[in-house]
Amino acid sequence: MSAAGPSSALEVRRLTVSYGSRPALWDVDASFPRGALSAIVGPNGAGKSTLLKAAVGLLPVDAGQALIEGQPASAALDRVSYVPQRDAVDWDFPITVREVVEMGRYRSAGWVRRLRPPDREIVGECLERVGMAPFAGRQIGRLSGGQRQRVFIARALAQRAPVMLLDEPFAGVDARSESALLDLLRELCEQGGSIVVVHHDIGIVRARFDWALLLNVRAVSCGPVAESLAVAKLRQAYAGIAEGMGEEAAAWIG
Amino acid sequence: MDWLIELLPLSYTNAVVLIGSVTIGITAGVLGSFAVLRERSLVGDAIAHATLPGVVIAFIASGAKDASTLAVGAALAGVAAALLIVGIERTGRLRPDAAIGVVLSAFFSLGIVLLTYVANFNNANQAGLDQYLFGQAAGLLEGDLVAMAALCLASLAIVAALLRPLRATLFDAEFAGSIGLPVRALELITMAALVVAVIVGVRTVGAILMVAMLIVPAVTARQFCDRLPTMLVAAGATGAVVGGSGALISESAALPTGPVVVLVGSGAAVCALLFAPRRGVAWNARRLIRDRRRAVTEGVLVDVETALHAGPPPTSTELMLASGRPRRALRRALRDLDRAGILERDGDRILLSEAGAAAAHAVLERRDLWHAWLEYGWKLELPDAREPDPSDLRGGLGDAAVERLRALAASEPTQ
Repeated sequence: MSAAGPSSALEVRRLTVSYGSRPALWDVDASFPRGALSAIVGPNGAGKSTLLKAAVGLLPVDAGQALIEGQPASAALDRVSYVPQRDAVDWDFPITVREVVEMGRYRSAGWVRRLRPPDREIVGECLERVGMAPFAGRQIGRLSGGQRQRVFIARALAQRAPVMLLDEPFAGVDARSESALLDLLRELCEQGGSIVVVHHDIGIVRARFDWALLLNVRAVSCGPVAESLAVAKLRQAYAGIAEGMGEEAAAWIG
Repeated sequence: MDWLIELLPLSYTNAVVLIGSVTIGITAGVLGSFAVLRERSLVGDAIAHATLPGVVIAFIASGAKDASTLAVGAALAGVAAALLIVGIERTGRLRPDAAIGVVLSAFFSLGIVLLTYVANFNNANQAGLDQYLFGQAAGLLEGDLVAMAALCLASLAIVAALLRPLRATLFDAEFAGSIGLPVRALELITMAALVVAVIVGVRTVGAILMVAMLIVPAVTARQFCDRLPTMLVAAGATGAVVGGSGALISESAALPTGPVVVLVGSGAAVCALLFAPRRGVAWNARRLIRDRRRAVTEGVLVDVETALHAGPPPTSTELMLASGRPRRALRRALRDLDRAGILERDGDRILLSEAGAAAAHAVLERRDLWHAWLEYGWKLELPDAREPDPSDLRGGLGDAAVERLRALAASEPTQ
């Protein structure tokens, strides 16, 4: 019932996650609307990636919960696609671009069965959509950073899930690919998809995103970018970094 | 097995050894590949060393030197070692390499102590247990072959069935977790596969050298294969060839089986690491030298063209002074250009042949195109994720894109 209702694409309630005794997220409340291009912004070590990992059930949660379209991660694996950070992957692995994207179909096609023609068609479409079709047979390590990220996004597209979570997808990506991928994400939102991106560039988030969570272990603010990323909020989140830099820092952050 | 043994044009013993070694090579090659790709090759080493106390304890408990009883002991000890390594790692107190080292040496010294103990108190029956240290092919029986082949086929069938989930987990464990794959269970399965491979091979190859049978075929195969299925097949084939040829050599030369097999395998791996196309060290070095040399040669070609534009044909000394290139590099480049029919000589003055003028023109055009890409490339709409290769912009971007790039550069000339 709640899944079909007005629940958010991703919602976290009083979420606390820690590594050992060090809390990575502390009592975080946030929600990201459906059909919007949202960002999670914050300084290094703010818990941005942790939040996404907790949302897809990759990390044990100390307290609180993360809901995807109103359901906990364990029940929502079909509704969410996750694009991990690229440094988590062995790029020398013997696997081709197409085989990586095919992984996006594993869950719906069955773990051990061969992919059937409809699944392969979806894989082909997704490769086409990110512009990687000409590279389908290439070993994944023989691609540039931007091309690798395109492959990862194609894999997430192939899952056909309404919610897509991306962890730092634009780190080490060339400007052309970043722009093309942002256009693609925007297009997905217009078709009703919900997207949450961990991002490090506040300028780009302000210019091209709808919604943002400003995070620094605690949630500093969450809402439309104009409000959540107001200068006062940014000062609060980046306190240690911006302190003593006065107007200049405000200009830099803002 | 009878038919196969009779089919081979070998003595009974040699045929058994050959079939056994080939089986070991296939099993270890395929199953070891997963460990190598997961950067866990040394877990295989720890498991192999850990079989020793298992074998001796099984001998003490059963009082008989029956191969399958000892194999069960070896398997239990191997599993214990693997679980211990995983357990120590998950507590997060030790790094993986340290955990492997601790477990390996503890199990192995226990094995040596037990072996000595048995030798002292029970010496009538224990002779031959020490073959588990260095390996001994000659002791294989037909019954052993059947058991080894069964283990080999069963584990290969499981791996084939789980190929997709295993591949996803090995390549990107976070993503695999996010689509609901049981990542930890799959990791345990790869560990179990290692134990099986070790059990099949340890008596023939020996506990100390077994790890080579797990690593060598995988490393060799990876040099030539860019896809996991082909790599697994190639690793199995490499293992089979290495195991079979090594065993036959050792039999005919009366040398210990394990070391000979491993020497053959290491030779194959070193060759693959050096000479495999695209990944071989020597292959890459050769390409690098060739590319550098070509860059210098092209530079000299442009120097000649520039000098001809500015005044009378240059001598090689003038070229050297103008460009500041070392004499040797310049001389070699001129020799390369001469050989390609690009230069013409007028005494010691240097001119360009017709082909040379065209070549210089092509180089300059390529440079212009690269400049245009750096300056106006961002304005260019590309149909897909293609990216330019500085040495071959046209090949990377395609003719249509290059024409548009040219038009862009022409419409906004630089000052």
